[in-house]
Amino acid sequence: MPYIAKLEKAGIPTVIVDLEDQHQMVKQTALRYGVPEVRFLPASRTVHGELDVEAFTEPMMEMLTRPLIDKEKQSGIWEPSPSGRIIFEGTMEEAEEFFHQTEYIGHPVNAPIALYTDGLPVRIPTEERVAAMLKGTSHKPDELIIHQRDPMRGARRNPFQFQREGRPPRDVPPEVRMEGIRRSGKGDPVEFQPMGWTTTVEKVAACAVMAGCKPEHLPAVLAIAESGTFIGSTHTFGHWLCVSGPYAKEVGMSSGCGMLGPGNVANSTIGRAYEIMARNLGGAIPGVNRMTSIGSPFEGSRCCAENADGLPPGWEGLNEENGYGKDESIMMVIPHVNDGIRGVQFSPGGYRAFQKSGHGGMARKLGVKGIPGPHNWLEYLVDEFWAGREGAKTIIMVPEMAQHLYEYGFKSKDAVYEWLYEKSFMPLGKYRHFSWVDLGTNGWMGIEPRSGKHWKELPDDYMVPAAESPYAFCIIVGGGDEELSHQLSSPQHLGIDPIYSIDAWR
Amino acid sequence: MAEIVRCINPTGISEPVDTYPLAPRLDTLDGKTIHFSITGEPDITIPLEKKLKKDYPNVNWTQKKTYAPSPIQLTEEEMKTTDAVILAVCW
Repeated sequence: MPYIAKLEKAGIPTVIVDLEDQHQMVKQTALRYGVPEVRFLPASRTVHGELDVEAFTEPMMEMLTRPLIDKEKQSGIWEPSPSGRIIFEGTMEEAEEFFHQTEYIGHPVNAPIALYTDGLPVRIPTEERVAAMLKGTSHKPDELIIHQRDPMRGARRNPFQFQREGRPPRDVPPEVRMEGIRRSGKGDPVEFQPMGWTTTVEKVAACAVMAGCKPEHLPAVLAIAESGTFIGSTHTFGHWLCVSGPYAKEVGMSSGCGMLGPGNVANSTIGRAYEIMARNLGGAIPGVNRMTSIGSPFEGSRCCAENADGLPPGWEGLNEENGYGKDESIMMVIPHVNDGIRGVQFSPGGYRAFQKSGHGGMARKLGVKGIPGPHNWLEYLVDEFWAGREGAKTIIMVPEMAQHLYEYGFKSKDAVYEWLYEKSFMPLGKYRHFSWVDLGTNGWMGIEPRSGKHWKELPDDYMVPAAESPYAFCIIVGGGDEELSHQLSSPQHLGIDPIYSIDAWR
Repeated sequence: MAEIVRCINPTGISEPVDTYPLAPRLDTLDGKTIHFSITGEPDITIPLEKKLKKDYPNVNWTQKKTYAPSPIQLTEEEMKTTDAVILAVCW
């Protein structure tokens, strides 16, 4: 839309073809960029293209010639609704009614959606409660939320490095090439997604109260706020969050059994704050500008902590991996995009039998029947890593399984990442069967970076890595004693900066 | 009497937006240079490209194509000689 706005302002008439259910999003975005009356019409999601263009081509061309009506000729200033520091004054009962209001959203939702919450009851952000919350940070209430650092700091899997280096399209995550998610620099105000609104420390504190947080949780919530609470548009996004560093223990976070599940107050409330902020600070509304179609229970957002004590010798924590010190605390946004979550493929006792004595299905698959471990259990899973889509993965594993990898021979996380990257190579003929690679290769019109040849010139048996780079993988160690792992998308898929300092917001 | 509470506004700060009129429309399509900015959805944009060229032969068609949602933009020089733009399928 910024491009369309630029053209219209330059005197070049435009017309946009969108999809009908996205009209509200087009209108919102058009207003945001100053051309609220931009002309658009829908293509069909289901009609064959040739029939569809027969129907809409003439009206589309007419939009370029039909004279402007008065409304379309107007200029001016769009003023947002008055929105003072105090949003409501009344009894607590009335306040509860106010904050739990809903609005009816038409197609494609056709149901009421909460105006200020994630749909669940919230703690009312009274002046007194927000003042108490603000004791959790040294930052002033009226301070604007700004980026505390440039996006490049330390995050070697930070996708923004590709923008700066001008890497070939194949190596730039498709989503990064979408407008509107380019990251600003240190000191720039954070624009919350999708509406591009800004905010203050006090408003974040109000959201933290609503999520049920305690004052000591506020630095973590402010670090999440610095991410701009990206929610995506048409993807079934959900976000998990992981704290690395001493802060986690300070505020009683769980890095143990069920760390991403219910029960721990810090984990649950800090995670929930993401969603409360996305609604209030980002203006994210399902079916209007958040087109996740089916949605996901993970959109409610969960937070966990890395188990630093469970890292094998030589394995860095997420903080160190991303350019911070061991004694520094960071918040990592873990997106899981549209290749879902895999895990829990081991039968009861199956993993233990595999490692202890080389018995069971895992041993049979790896050809180590009767041979005691340590075995590389990733070998058992790696075939499935790219069953859904290409790209590196984030792997969450319990400490025991990390220790087995160490004992097997992986003396650093990097060694695991490099092994996984090598395993990701597959014949081009198979790689072509993914869907997202159509974007990654720009419809196969681009150049394959390793050979320097056009994609269409390469034979089917040419080997291509399914992962962007070894360091686009990520390992998080945490959880209980039962042997489990989750595999989900790499942050690189999302094209966001995944790492934010918590200490900067203390 | 119930205690009165004052609640802090948790919603983001939306700045006023300068709004602009649309560009004047074309008096005719004939002889104009119209740019077709193609952003993905080839099942629609391929037949659309063919139909535009067939049904509007007096238009000087230009185009830039990408599979990604973000259009490849016209340069400042190209904008000087472009009379209108169609963007499909995206915004």
